[in-house]
Amino acid sequence: MTWLGRLLRGRRLERELERELRDHVERQVADYVAAGMGEGEARRRTRLELGGLESAKEQCRDARGTRLVSDLVQDLRYGLRVLRRSPGFTVVAVLSLALGIGANTAIFNLVDSLILRALPVSDPAALVRLDGSSWTNPIWEEIRARAPQLVESAAACWPTRLDLASGGEAQLVDAFFASGDFFEVMGVPAMLGRTLTRDDDRRGGGAAGPVAVLSYAFWQRHYGGAADAVGRTLSLNGVPVTVVGVTPPGFFGPTVGRSFDVALPIAIVDRLQHNSESWLDARSTWWLDVVARLRPTQTPEAATQALRLVQPQIREATLPPRWRPKDLEHYLREPLAFVPARTGLSEVRGDYERPLLTVMGVVALVLLIACANLASLLLARANARRQELGARLALGASRQRLARQLLAECLLLALPGAALGLLVAQWGSRLLVRQITTQEGLVSLDVSLHWRVLLFTLAVTLATTVLFGVAPALRGTGFSPQDAMRHQGRSVAGEGPGALGGPLVVVQVALSLVLVFAAGLFLRTFTGLATQDLGLDADALLLVSLDSQRSKLPAKELRALFEQIRDAAAALPGVSDAAVSVIAPVSGMGWNNNFRVQGGPTLDDKDSSAWVNAVTPGWFSTYRTALVQGRDVEARDRLEAPPVLIVNEAFVRRFVGTGPTIGRLVEREGRPGQQLPPLEIVGVVKDAVYRSPRDEREPTVYGPIAQLAPEETFPFASLAVRASSGSPALLTQPLAAAIGRVDPRISLTFRLLSDQVGASLMRERVVAMLSGFFGFLALFLAGLGLYGVTSHAVNRRRTEIGVRIALGADAAGVVRLVLGRVGLLLGAGLLLGAALSLWLARFVEALLYGLKPRDPLTLAGAGLVLVAVGLLAAGLPARRASRIDPAQVLREG
Amino acid sequence: MTGEHADLPQGTLDLLILKVVALGPLHGYAIAQRLQQISRDVVQVQQGSLYPALHRLENRGLLASDWKLTDTGREAKFYRLTARGRSRLEEEAESWRRLTEAVGLILSAEGEPS
Repeated sequence: MTWLGRLLRGRRLERELERELRDHVERQVADYVAAGMGEGEARRRTRLELGGLESAKEQCRDARGTRLVSDLVQDLRYGLRVLRRSPGFTVVAVLSLALGIGANTAIFNLVDSLILRALPVSDPAALVRLDGSSWTNPIWEEIRARAPQLVESAAACWPTRLDLASGGEAQLVDAFFASGDFFEVMGVPAMLGRTLTRDDDRRGGGAAGPVAVLSYAFWQRHYGGAADAVGRTLSLNGVPVTVVGVTPPGFFGPTVGRSFDVALPIAIVDRLQHNSESWLDARSTWWLDVVARLRPTQTPEAATQALRLVQPQIREATLPPRWRPKDLEHYLREPLAFVPARTGLSEVRGDYERPLLTVMGVVALVLLIACANLASLLLARANARRQELGARLALGASRQRLARQLLAECLLLALPGAALGLLVAQWGSRLLVRQITTQEGLVSLDVSLHWRVLLFTLAVTLATTVLFGVAPALRGTGFSPQDAMRHQGRSVAGEGPGALGGPLVVVQVALSLVLVFAAGLFLRTFTGLATQDLGLDADALLLVSLDSQRSKLPAKELRALFEQIRDAAAALPGVSDAAVSVIAPVSGMGWNNNFRVQGGPTLDDKDSSAWVNAVTPGWFSTYRTALVQGRDVEARDRLEAPPVLIVNEAFVRRFVGTGPTIGRLVEREGRPGQQLPPLEIVGVVKDAVYRSPRDEREPTVYGPIAQLAPEETFPFASLAVRASSGSPALLTQPLAAAIGRVDPRISLTFRLLSDQVGASLMRERVVAMLSGFFGFLALFLAGLGLYGVTSHAVNRRRTEIGVRIALGADAAGVVRLVLGRVGLLLGAGLLLGAALSLWLARFVEALLYGLKPRDPLTLAGAGLVLVAVGLLAAGLPARRASRIDPAQVLREG
Repeated sequence: MTGEHADLPQGTLDLLILKVVALGPLHGYAIAQRLQQISRDVVQVQQGSLYPALHRLENRGLLASDWKLTDTGREAKFYRLTARGRSRLEEEAESWRRLTEAVGLILSAEGEPS
């Protein structure tokens, strides 16, 4: 019979063994009786010769070689019975493990899908990208021409959004423009039709005209998965493009954290966008990502080496015109390099890598605390079970066998914990992805549980079992049976065995302090950002992004168009204010230039830069940004009138220096050789947020939209509308209609400024929320641990306390006695935790705003919180101790 | 049960069991009896170790077993030698003979003056 057969047929084997031995006994007894022995004596003798029936059986069982497994089954069965006897403990243990393991798995799942997982393309390890943010098309064309000498192949792409609607409220789809061989380089075949070709990406358009490749998801959503989608026409930004193919379901595009709907050839970019200068030729429009596939044995370093050899030619051939000499010099010198791109490109990753890793650290600490907590609970139980364990030792169980038994019980807690944890993780990672998704950036991550995540959970579970199971198992068996039987779980004085609970509590307190401190830092960062004075009133303000590329208007009419739209909006009932600006605050967009105030201080190149915005009259009152001096932009500030400027206080502080501000002339830097007329400062406004609430309030200047030069006029603007009462969201319908009457080709996107501000702080909000939640959990667990240990100590020392009370100790004295030890543990934990916090603080520096990572106030606050929790947790058992009735205790003793 | 009892050298129990069973299928009790008879009561098998040894040999595939009706009217577990058991027996017997010869030679050697 095989080993497995013996394992599975254990019960039959057991029966046969019984029969065989009984047969032996009967025969021997019969022989002895035949030889003249009495039956009783014959039986006694036979047993003796066999050395005890049970012991013979045991040895036969050993011979089967299935011992380990059948013992495990027995251990598990016994463990189950033990756990069922104390359901409260079991539930607490399983739930805290489920939370710990679930949180770890959820965060790891995000880390995995955002940072670790390779792109779903063929051989992702061979992908590299051109290091740096983005590249101009001329640079890409130079690289493309040289690609065969440098690498296996190369491609370029640019993710953007396009509008399906041909006017009115925009229906945006996620798109990316790609070079003709992009899909070939990625090794992604078409599932239906074909992917892009080099011919599609020819300047002036390929034989097939403007074409698009759809993602599987978009094909399903937009065409219901129709097989004849290929060949149909799709309108993007008002331009008809022909659908030529669909990619397979797993491919979400080159950017991790975003999904794509349509892919288009780079060569048609100017047809879909109204660019003043063709992006294909523009030498200072930086937009493309460049990726390459290495040759089979090529390293990224070798590819970089090859690239460096041709760098001078690439740079020389693409020199941007009208740049200052020192900028050109920098352009020529800056080295090009290839870096690995196995996991794709991602802006989401850049935003979330550090917060995610920080939160990963936080949840790992929470799991450690949960383990320490369980270990001390199990330890207390092991002490309570000394008698039982002692009895088993006395009956001949080996220490190893007992330790195995205790570990089996841990496994019984860890496995359901892990299973529940996986559920928590599934739910948690979906919730998190929803949390970090904003209107602007839909974060789409494949967060279904991947094999790596399952492996991670398994590893965490096993590590947990060992962590919280080993200490009790070792201690649980580290005594002689006589000791166990003698003590009967009572001692008269001192802590006695079980003091290991102390160090565990110290560790818990220390780790909790770290977490509470971190939570404090992140919460203060977030509230600091959320409650700061933005310099404007973001409530009840509706922003409408205007995109009039399709109107194809000259600059002069464009300026007039924006003013008409403003007037149309202001005339609507329910609108109290309306104004247009080129840049919307907190949109992430920016426009800057170098300035110098006549008679002001001389600033170096870096310091002379200020943010720029162009606005219509009434913009400041619409945003509720206070005018401090002078006047607002007025209707009389036309192109023909003298150019005027309104500046903020930060600008005044840095640029104006001494003397009055109003009436001063400001020079701005144009292109080399270009002489721009100076601008007159006519007003000063309070500092207000420009790009991000995280930025400091920087010098900013505002000019009238009506005075914009033609080369500064773009077909984009932002209309701000303040509702006179009620929610501004109700204004979207009438606004869309009113703007449509001015020009039906304008594409509109609505959003509330308060949402935009909230979205820009989302990273801080999520980190604060998670660390706050886990900090609270840690606090709770630490409190539970302290309570458990104190309460256990009080139970053990009942007799001693009873004697002390009988001898005249008062209640306060008893409380002091109990709390003294807790205080010691708490103090040690706080010291350790403070040291740990100060050491770990530097890792979160980049995530903080407005406070230092080693902020003493936050640390002190965290310490106080822990002391309060500790006193509360230990106070209850201490009070109980002071009420021990000495008479009763002494009677028991 | 007279005469001197010798302890079995380690590992020889298996060899003896294989030899006894080689003569024909036997149940456990009979094997114990036969061992004693053949060795004229010198080798006394600790019965406690007989059954674990039998089970071990069976699990290694050297012995096979069947339940058969016996003269007493009860079923008993009869062990018989498998083909593998037979070749193992030959090997073990051969190496035992070589060992005892060598030991005998050494013991019978005359002391030589050095």
